[in-house]
Amino acid sequence: MRRWKLNRKRSLEKNENQKTEEISEYFTGEFSKDLEAIKQEIGHNYDVRFHEFNLGSTDTRAAIIFIEGLSDRQLIDRHILKTLIQPFSENTKRSSARNKDYFSQDYIKNHILSISEVKEIETLQELVTNVLMGQVALLVDRASTVLILGTTKGKTRKLTEPPSEESIRGPRIGFTEKLSDNSALLRSSGKNEKLTLEKYEVGERSRKDLVVAYIEDIVDPQLVKEVDKRIQKIDIDNVVESGFVEQLIEDDYLSPFPQVQNTERPDRVMSALMEGRVAILLDGTPFALIVPVTFSMMFQAPEDYYERWIPGSLVRLLRFFAAFISLFGPSLYIAFISFHQGLIPTDLAITVLASRDGVPFPSIIEALIMEIAIEILREAGLRLPSPIGQTIGIVGALIVGEAAVQAGIVSPMMVIVVAITAISSFTIPQYSVGISLRFLRFGSMIFAAILGLYGVILFFLFLCSHFVKLQSFGVPFASPFVPYRISDWKDLFIRMPLKMMKRRPKMLHPKDQVRKK
Amino acid sequence: MISLQAKNQLTASQTAVILTNYTLAVGILTLPRAAAQEVQTPDIWITVLLGGCVSLVAGVIHVKLSQQYPGKNFYEYSQNLVGKVLGSLLSIFVIVYFLTLSAFEARTVAEVAGFFLLDGTPTWAILMPFMAIGLYLINSGINPIARLFEIIFPLTIILFLLVIFMSVGIFELNNLRPVLGSGIMPVLKGIKTTALAFTAAEIMVVLVAFMEKPEKAIKVVLVGVGIPTLFYLITVVMVVGGLSIEVAQTYTWPTISLIQSFEITGLIFERFESFLLIIWIMQIFATFTISFYAASLGLSHLFKRETKPMIYLLIPFIYIVAMMPKNINELFKLGDILGYFAYILFGLFPLLLLIGSWVKEGRHETKQ
Repeated sequence: MRRWKLNRKRSLEKNENQKTEEISEYFTGEFSKDLEAIKQEIGHNYDVRFHEFNLGSTDTRAAIIFIEGLSDRQLIDRHILKTLIQPFSENTKRSSARNKDYFSQDYIKNHILSISEVKEIETLQELVTNVLMGQVALLVDRASTVLILGTTKGKTRKLTEPPSEESIRGPRIGFTEKLSDNSALLRSSGKNEKLTLEKYEVGERSRKDLVVAYIEDIVDPQLVKEVDKRIQKIDIDNVVESGFVEQLIEDDYLSPFPQVQNTERPDRVMSALMEGRVAILLDGTPFALIVPVTFSMMFQAPEDYYERWIPGSLVRLLRFFAAFISLFGPSLYIAFISFHQGLIPTDLAITVLASRDGVPFPSIIEALIMEIAIEILREAGLRLPSPIGQTIGIVGALIVGEAAVQAGIVSPMMVIVVAITAISSFTIPQYSVGISLRFLRFGSMIFAAILGLYGVILFFLFLCSHFVKLQSFGVPFASPFVPYRISDWKDLFIRMPLKMMKRRPKMLHPKDQVRKK
Repeated sequence: MISLQAKNQLTASQTAVILTNYTLAVGILTLPRAAAQEVQTPDIWITVLLGGCVSLVAGVIHVKLSQQYPGKNFYEYSQNLVGKVLGSLLSIFVIVYFLTLSAFEARTVAEVAGFFLLDGTPTWAILMPFMAIGLYLINSGINPIARLFEIIFPLTIILFLLVIFMSVGIFELNNLRPVLGSGIMPVLKGIKTTALAFTAAEIMVVLVAFMEKPEKAIKVVLVGVGIPTLFYLITVVMVVGGLSIEVAQTYTWPTISLIQSFEITGLIFERFESFLLIIWIMQIFATFTISFYAASLGLSHLFKRETKPMIYLLIPFIYIVAMMPKNINELFKLGDILGYFAYILFGLFPLLLLIGSWVKEGRHETKQ
């Protein structure tokens, strides 16, 4: 909280420097003058509403300022205006007599308003910020402070299953665009007094709330410090989506691997927190971020844990295999067909070469044509509304592929390789990881076309060299595979039975290692 | 976690993996021939075992020497021991050794890849990307190197055992008989050759300084020399058993020839030399990078500069040295010279240095 205030003060100071001295910074206590100042500042916006009235049938003037649509109209009418305009009881009037002929704000706050979130502010700038967030400002005559009443009515929508991460088994709830809903989802996932939600504000011009979540007695304090440091450093005018945060806090922006994981699933966030990771939620987006990311997370899906361990492990092994195909499938094909026909069985070589008979391009051009075509189809299918998208897929894949083979531009073998590769890349549970594997595939194909199998090996070494250098928030990206942490391998290539996963991953240096006795 | 990275430290298991990967190199493909030519009897597996023991002893000497100066590598303590001028001279020799070794490894890759995979591709085209990737890996210090080796290591074990045990079908126990038929002398004669394949423990003079717990270094040497010995032993036994001692001498790369000599039908692949080449290239890459790194580390201590610029400074020299041998025979000759150089530099000198440091210490203690 304190940090947030500091942050705000800093940004306020910046604003002060920008503004000229024309508006009085602090409220004077003179009703008409203050109101005029406020009107000058934000009154020209069509959605700002000013409503002036007398407090409880007395002479004291008051006004509320709010924004149409952002504030909860019902709440304002029933709990603010009604209580303030209704004639005050005798009791009230008598006690107020002590304050001569006006009502102190403290009195209104403590005795009259039936609303839970009230705070006092002193400057015009604070008022503007709060009102623009959907709060109501209550200006009372002869008071040098203004009351801010919490009436924000966020845009909410139903909690639905996230379309980007559907699962067969598991909670059917995804995050929404509203931060308070999302943090409530985390809170309600189990009573846990150690779940800490720290608030920050990001964006210099258009400020947005951001929440850092972690479990206090599990997480490595150094990690929290690092996350805090990087979020403080965010210095951009507007943070549109959590993707902005992701790109501004990641370790290496040149890397093809995503170093921050995003998810729409509260269960996923919660289990990451329980491992000792840190989650970042941003207002206005259903995508939460999880740091640090390690290699093991790239192939994990929530179902691995909800299903029993044998299917979970087998499916995970399958994903590793699919990732391998999606990276090296076409390049190995190119290498063996153009360079080392001698290394594959003779019958197979004859079949493949016969099917390539009459194809006018070398295999790398053939592969590039097909791979690029399938990427175009995928992108087109993504942008179009879903019924049309499916049609495009069918038309593209079936008709164009078939026609290309018939016309003799590509060999049927290549269509098979490309199709299997494309499908393999979709088995990766993380969309962003799938993308990076897909474009790394092109690099590997080019290496293969120039240097054959040797090129593929070099590409593998190159990729691994990058992979082992990469860090995500101080944790080696390649962990727990390398550096070896054998105890963490229980949840790497296979998912061991829950009964055996007794410790939290050591690579994250949790304060409390015991998951299960 | 963050502190460990900053300090550039290695765990004991990482050091053992580095040592193993460093030791496993050209020998996998050439050792059976080299040893067979020297020994001429099927007993070369005994020679390999003895060669491993020699290497083990050398490794222990290096470790003992390094442990006298905790946190310091050879380049630093050699000056403490024998004075600035002599120490610098020793460092230069070591640097030249590591530089030549990495060039030798790189060139061998070019030869093998050019022969088996890329017929007709010019040597420079094979060499340059290999060196560029090595450069990319080592320019951020010892930790990424260690981690890459940790990825290569299990792959090597799995693929190697898979491939080599497929040749069980043509294995003839009779090819390994008689044991010690011509007495012990040929076996001892071969140690010189086999120990060449094991000239590896010298990397410990650099590695011990990086270790988190240097006191475990002896164990590291045991494991790091033991695993390659086992690998070489299996290789030699399978090659001699599969091809016989007479035939093994005639091939340039007998291990590949062994894998080529059988076919297993009914699987996707009928021939498996590509697997062997994959792991072998990775192993050579490992040896190349770590010796490259050791050389640039030495240079950085010599000139008291950062390691990074030294890496870029060294790369042209490595390329030039790698291109020097005109053909494969000259390359092998270079390898032999390198081995003898290692005998003197890492067999004799460290022993002298160790004794020297003991004497020095003893004198120091008696003074107190």
